[in-house]
Amino acid sequence: MSENSKATSTPQAPAAKFGGTGLTVAIVAAAVVAIAGLVLWGIQLSGGMIQTNMRNMDSWGIYITMFMFFVGLSAGGLIISSIPRAFGMKGFGGISKVAVWTSITCTCLAIGYVVVDLGGPARIWELFVYSNLASPLMWDIIVLFVYLILSIVYLWATLRHEAGKVSATALRVVSFIALVCAVLVHSVTAWIFSLQQAHDMWHTALMAPWFVSSALVCGTGLVMIVVIALRAAGYLKLDQSYLVKMAKMLGAFLCIDLYFFGCDLLTEAFPQGEGANIVSMLVSGPLAPFFWLEVIGCAIAAVICFVPQLRSNPGLIVAAVLAIVGIFCKRFQLLVGGFQQANLDYAGMYTSTSITNWSDGMVGAYAGLVYTPTMLEMGIVVGVLGLGALILLLGLKFLPLKPTAED
Amino acid sequence: MRYGFAIDTRRCIGCHTCAVACRIENNLPKGSWWNRTLTDGGTEQDTPEGTYPNVKMSYITIACQHCENPACVKVCPVGATYKDEETGVVRQDYDKCIGCRMCMAACPYTGVRLFNWEEPKYTIDFAIGDSDIAPHQKHVVEKCTMCWHRLARGEEPACVEVCPERARFWGDLDDPESDVARLVRERDYKQLLPERDTKPSVYYLV
Repeated sequence: MSENSKATSTPQAPAAKFGGTGLTVAIVAAAVVAIAGLVLWGIQLSGGMIQTNMRNMDSWGIYITMFMFFVGLSAGGLIISSIPRAFGMKGFGGISKVAVWTSITCTCLAIGYVVVDLGGPARIWELFVYSNLASPLMWDIIVLFVYLILSIVYLWATLRHEAGKVSATALRVVSFIALVCAVLVHSVTAWIFSLQQAHDMWHTALMAPWFVSSALVCGTGLVMIVVIALRAAGYLKLDQSYLVKMAKMLGAFLCIDLYFFGCDLLTEAFPQGEGANIVSMLVSGPLAPFFWLEVIGCAIAAVICFVPQLRSNPGLIVAAVLAIVGIFCKRFQLLVGGFQQANLDYAGMYTSTSITNWSDGMVGAYAGLVYTPTMLEMGIVVGVLGLGALILLLGLKFLPLKPTAED
Repeated sequence: MRYGFAIDTRRCIGCHTCAVACRIENNLPKGSWWNRTLTDGGTEQDTPEGTYPNVKMSYITIACQHCENPACVKVCPVGATYKDEETGVVRQDYDKCIGCRMCMAACPYTGVRLFNWEEPKYTIDFAIGDSDIAPHQKHVVEKCTMCWHRLARGEEPACVEVCPERARFWGDLDDPESDVARLVRERDYKQLLPERDTKPSVYYLV
């Protein structure tokens, strides 16, 4: 700890001063947003989830989308910092602690989004008492908690290693276990959807590896944005070559993710059966804006990452944002796409709790997007994001996450 | 033992009596229909498919299919949805349900599982139906219980008892002597979404 703070005050330390009033104001603002979110959650629980736009036939919405999205985002930091260490390669210039802190923040948010989606959060203890170990949701809860704890252990071990208390070998072992767990957490999140035979959109074996690649895309994008922002704010110094290395990785991850998407679309479309409906729903149906934003955005991002002339700082920010937005679009397509096609489309009794746009019957309900969130849902989404900003900024303020001299 | 239904779609006249009887028997909250009479035909209720004179229309009543291989039971993280081993009835424990709605996402027959999105409200301001039913709760998933409270007393489900066309049959599919087993054996039938491999215990006689 003391070595760490000494290191940051050496001449190599950032010229600009980070923190001070600006950071405190940001922390207070984040706390206010988080508290506002809590109040809205209270309104949702007391007045009922009827205030959301989720209904019996589209029973998950923006909260589960955000859960998937944040599980993915949590990948980047941990993987960027643990891969070099686990395999004994050169790292990314000392950003690993900050990167792991973003992972921890994102994991907390993923858990947060599941909690606000629950009808009975007061019964959450049952998960640990009546655990049904056959349920993929139970697997995910277990793996998420293990992942969160491992990330914290990994961060702690890194700090202790820098203080000379933990050996390099031990740190390497921890980083390897954390890496395995990271791959597992994305696979298990995919299995929540892909093991269900109920929805054609979800039931594909490709989902787990595809979740890993999407996680790598948006996770790397997030780490790039965070370190570029922290460098601009004077929190840390980072040689541009590390960012270029990260950008090349991002480009590769983007290509893998698009390749998986292409494989899946081809497999769905080729037999010209039920799967063809999924492809047309994505390409030209209600989900088309999300589909094209993802595909075109990710392609542009990959080009920026691969063309040296485009890899300026603003260029890298654009690429990272496009990658993150693209993966968000993918999550939304996946969730809503699962409900967008009715298995049983008989006409009949539909009430205000049957489906979001129920008043015009089955035809009206499925004509456009089957689900769009209400203002209350968006408010709670922003509130949880505020909690994330709060955790991230508190870490920057109070934890020794800056690169040390030896990095 | 595997309790199930055989529903004669050639007898069904789409009168909704089974659906309404279910609502009354189970004191269902406003907007909740555990059993629905749907039209197999046009895009609106009670409309046929095609143009005159080449039109056709029939009715199909849909509730929980009490599957032999239920997708919902596997995914419930706390075991609030479970299959009764003795009877094969898929049951729901309101007191255990945490409201994660995983079962609703897993069930291919979307619409048979209902979540109480708010504090249950009722059309009539006093409780109706059977006094043995479990009280409805806010923010939990519920569905057809196969009238579990009636089965416990040796009675058949309410929807079967009231059908004016005697189109609904209920009994033990494993007992060759039962009406349901005989009908399934002797008549042509279809099942809903057999390709989803859930092995539903509801047979629609055609």
